[in-house]
Amino acid sequence: MVASYLTTGALAVFLGLDRVAVLQCMASRPLVAAPLTGWLLGVPMAGFEVGILLELLWLGRLPVGAVIPPDDTQVAIGATALALTMERLLGLHGMPAVILCVLVAIPLGKVGQYADTRARQANNRLAHLAVAAASAGDSNRIERLHLRGLGHFALAALFTCTGIVAGGTLLLYPLAPLLIGTVSETGLALQYSFTMIGAAVLLGTLNVNRGFFLFGAAFVATLLVIGLR
Amino acid sequence: MSAPRLPLSTLMHGCMRSVLQQGSWNFERMQNLGFIYQLLPGLRRLYGPTLPAEVLQRHTEYFNTHPYMASWVAGTVLRLEEKQLAGETLPMDAATFRSMVMAPYAAMGDALFWGALRPLAAVVALLLAIQGVLWAPLMLLMIYNLPHLACRCGGWLFSYRQELASAELLQRLRLPDVAIRLKELTIILLGILCALLAARGCAHQEIAPSWGLALLPVVLIFTWMARRGVSSFVLVVMTTASLLGVALVF
Repeated sequence: MVASYLTTGALAVFLGLDRVAVLQCMASRPLVAAPLTGWLLGVPMAGFEVGILLELLWLGRLPVGAVIPPDDTQVAIGATALALTMERLLGLHGMPAVILCVLVAIPLGKVGQYADTRARQANNRLAHLAVAAASAGDSNRIERLHLRGLGHFALAALFTCTGIVAGGTLLLYPLAPLLIGTVSETGLALQYSFTMIGAAVLLGTLNVNRGFFLFGAAFVATLLVIGLR
Repeated sequence: MSAPRLPLSTLMHGCMRSVLQQGSWNFERMQNLGFIYQLLPGLRRLYGPTLPAEVLQRHTEYFNTHPYMASWVAGTVLRLEEKQLAGETLPMDAATFRSMVMAPYAAMGDALFWGALRPLAAVVALLLAIQGVLWAPLMLLMIYNLPHLACRCGGWLFSYRQELASAELLQRLRLPDVAIRLKELTIILLGILCALLAARGCAHQEIAPSWGLALLPVVLIFTWMARRGVSSFVLVVMTTASLLGVALVF
């Protein structure tokens, strides 16, 4: 279990850095981060399902300027780690357990916005020091200060993931046995509602003329084709 | 006019450093350190290991653009620095160019990469994922990163060689129009994704797929609510509470 949490922490940092500070190749997207976490923790299907549930939810929130969207990367990693924890501690597995983990991880993901804000505030000081280094003509110090910023983002990612996994475990340990039956009874409805909500929110933010028409036409045409087959 | 004289290795060094463009993102000067960080290999080549304080000062000023488009600014800025050092008369200096283009480049990059390509890659990958295709995440990475890496690396090299003309090329590429086409494609794929999920739900309930049409107004109501400022989190809470409530009652 300790090895699993260490792996989760390493992934939280590695994928968390991709979110803002390094490369931004979208390895931090839930559909990539959660399956990777699940694969490394030995719960590949749970990771895959977490990724599908979360991918669209905040996709429309653009990380533009000083806007800090909810940290869906750590929510995805945390929810996958929680799925493993529930399996080990309570013997709960399958889609209902995954949904419960995601439902708990989503509000806890607010920690991520707080941590990210703090990291960027800490970087303000680096910017001040860099201006002083520039006045002194010290380019090596500017480089070191810049790289120190990565440390702040890494700490923020680790803090968020720890908050989600620790908080989620504390909440789910007593609540999961009580709720798992009800969640199972909702069948596919709850599972699909996440993707539907994500799609609806994304449709609302894409802001394209004829957007509703294109969406509706594709929706109806696909159902017709399925119905005629 | 002097010919570009920085070797490819120096340009590639700057390009590699561009992956850390947002490494020390801060609220006051945003990406200023990331920008000078990618310029430093080139500046050291031009000015020698000890850089003049005024050069460092002008590149630690406020800077913010789309992280991938920063390469396009950096290449041209380095070339302008080179020409300025050679004593050539320039239509504008490096600092003016940087301040002038960062906002329009940001708008282009945000619309294309964040607003269009990222959703498209995600929806294509989701369409595969709901069919059980386990390599769907790799598809997301591939669709997104081919244009991304081309923009980063191509931007650095091209903008250094073409200097101010690189801005004209970006204009000719009509990236905002490309973004709109990609968004339209994404919306069509979103419609297909939702319909597939609706049909699967109908199959699970053993009813005709046409009943899935009932979900269309639900999705559109959610869209309307999202446009009115209701967050995804609130929508998830509302839906979950409703579904769990129904499950408990019946």
